[in-house]
Amino acid sequence: MFINKKEIILNINKIIFSSLDIREVYQTMSKELSKVIDFDRLSVTLITENNALYENFVLSKDYEYTALKEGVLYPMEGSMMKRVIQFRQPVIVEDTSKGRFLTDIVLYNEGIHSRLGFPLEYKDRVIGSVNFGSKRKDYYTKKHIDFFAQIAPQLAMAIENTRLFNRIKEAEEKYRNIIESSPDIIFECAKDGEFLLMSPSVEKITGYPVNQFYDNRGYGLSLCYSEDQERVQHEILQVLNGKNSNLMDLEFRIIHKQGQIIWLSLEAVPIKEGDKIIGIEGFCRDITERKKLDELKDSLIRDVTHELKTPVAKIEMAIDMFDRSIKTGNVNALGSGSKIHEILRNNTNRLKNTIKNILDISKLESGMEPLKLSDIPLIELVTQIVNEHKDTASTKKIALMSQLPSNIPIIKADRDKIYHLITHLVDNAIKFTEQGKINIIANVLTDSVEVTIEDTGKGLDEKTRELVFEKFYKESSSTLGPGIGLAICKNIVQLHKGNIWVESEGKGKGSRFKFTLPIITDRKSSK
Amino acid sequence: MKELLIVEDDLEMQEFYKDMLQGEQFTVTIVSNGEEGIKKIKEKKYDIVILDILMEGMTGDRLFALLRRDIRYKEVPVIMASALDEKTYRCFQALGNVSFLEKPFNKEKLLGEITKRLEGHK
Repeated sequence: MFINKKEIILNINKIIFSSLDIREVYQTMSKELSKVIDFDRLSVTLITENNALYENFVLSKDYEYTALKEGVLYPMEGSMMKRVIQFRQPVIVEDTSKGRFLTDIVLYNEGIHSRLGFPLEYKDRVIGSVNFGSKRKDYYTKKHIDFFAQIAPQLAMAIENTRLFNRIKEAEEKYRNIIESSPDIIFECAKDGEFLLMSPSVEKITGYPVNQFYDNRGYGLSLCYSEDQERVQHEILQVLNGKNSNLMDLEFRIIHKQGQIIWLSLEAVPIKEGDKIIGIEGFCRDITERKKLDELKDSLIRDVTHELKTPVAKIEMAIDMFDRSIKTGNVNALGSGSKIHEILRNNTNRLKNTIKNILDISKLESGMEPLKLSDIPLIELVTQIVNEHKDTASTKKIALMSQLPSNIPIIKADRDKIYHLITHLVDNAIKFTEQGKINIIANVLTDSVEVTIEDTGKGLDEKTRELVFEKFYKESSSTLGPGIGLAICKNIVQLHKGNIWVESEGKGKGSRFKFTLPIITDRKSSK
Repeated sequence: MKELLIVEDDLEMQEFYKDMLQGEQFTVTIVSNGEEGIKKIKEKKYDIVILDILMEGMTGDRLFALLRRDIRYKEVPVIMASALDEKTYRCFQALGNVSFLEKPFNKEKLLGEITKRLEGHK
């Protein structure tokens, strides 16, 4: 025994610097220690941060069961551990049967008859202890203590290093998880444009794999939309040169691999090493959706403005025309039935309609106007609307028909609103159909009536089908009208607790606008 | 006589143009959409093209952009007319030889703009 002290210390040292897996450190430690000190049980205990509990690692034992298990936190009170730590001195228990410590009794039952506890100190702090147990009574002596004192500091350092490393690893893992799961692009970039970190979300946002960014300096900037490139580069240089302490919400465009424009918002701060700025780090958020909404809002305002201003402009111009006609004495141009008269009337009506629509939708949306429910004979209503539209349809050479089964129950609804709803859908169908027919079909379902306005007109693509009921939506900026009519229809149907949707096989293939109104059975009267 | 092409899909607006330009020293051609406008421009050299901006189908601003991209029509003086103020279309100014006419306008304003454009072109 006690030969090769140096070799053992060397071996332990090797472990300290080669392995950072705590399991491996313990295993080697146990193997090396067994060469120099006899034991039947070896454990390491580490104190938790609040010093009230300790964690036990059983490194070696030659019997099956142990009550002091690994990975369990035990109270310090009454343990040998407490004494070792308190006095920073090794403790020898000659005979566990005497039960000096609570743990003695436990170990005695497992056949351990004597113990040696040795404090592990690191940087003037006790971090835990190494504990030997022997089946022989009165086994450990000062000789063991003296020997172990020589290797204890190295052991403590190894253990503490491993612990620290594991803590860093855990923190790093958490950090990595955040980066890997973040929907935003998280990056670190050195001053020379080399990416030190780029989160995988970059591929989802830009279409290019992460490697492209790591392998090519300044790759991010090269994706920038040409008009924005200079501005972005300038702003980043301001940060790198210390002229700006951070970037907040710098909005710019990049070109996605598939060619579409992606809007990003960049927030970044400099990476510093002492006082020197060595790079820039931050994150980029995809704000394309928000930008699209902004654009939509702008175009809505533009469309509504246009819709209100155009008739007013024409009224003004008609008045100007009127004034000039008086000056030139062209009295024929002024009377009723004249162009001026007609223009004035048309545009006053158009303006009146637009204003009414805007007020209607505001009223419907605010819920200020309650439904005036009454019994509505749907067949009658549809027939009336068909008759009212016969002329307009026939001037466009479109056949306007209806298919109404006679078993349609009377529904409870607001007559004016349902009239408005069907009228608008029929108006629209006529407006967007150049030839063919328009058919109004009613179907009785289990608890609702379904009305379909089917046309052979210009149809709708998928995107339009989704958006067509949105307020102020227009298929193209040149489509006339403020695009408010279908939004009103949707509101009316929703107020009646029904559904409205549109089906179309695509552009040029006609469309079927459908809505349902629930059949409300009046239970009192049926009894 | 100067050749004037007006591309305007609003029939009432067409009436205003006709009325205001009646008896002036122009030959006026009016068409109702962008596609027809292009056809006319290809047929004959016009001294001024007046474009409505919001039209069904090809819009005035698109037609204008097309003209400016084609070496043959790069120099055709254009007046864009719209009820929206010119701020909305400021970006087109960079394409050159274009001015804006905000609706409503009266005869004086229209003639003034046409004269300005004709002179500007010289």
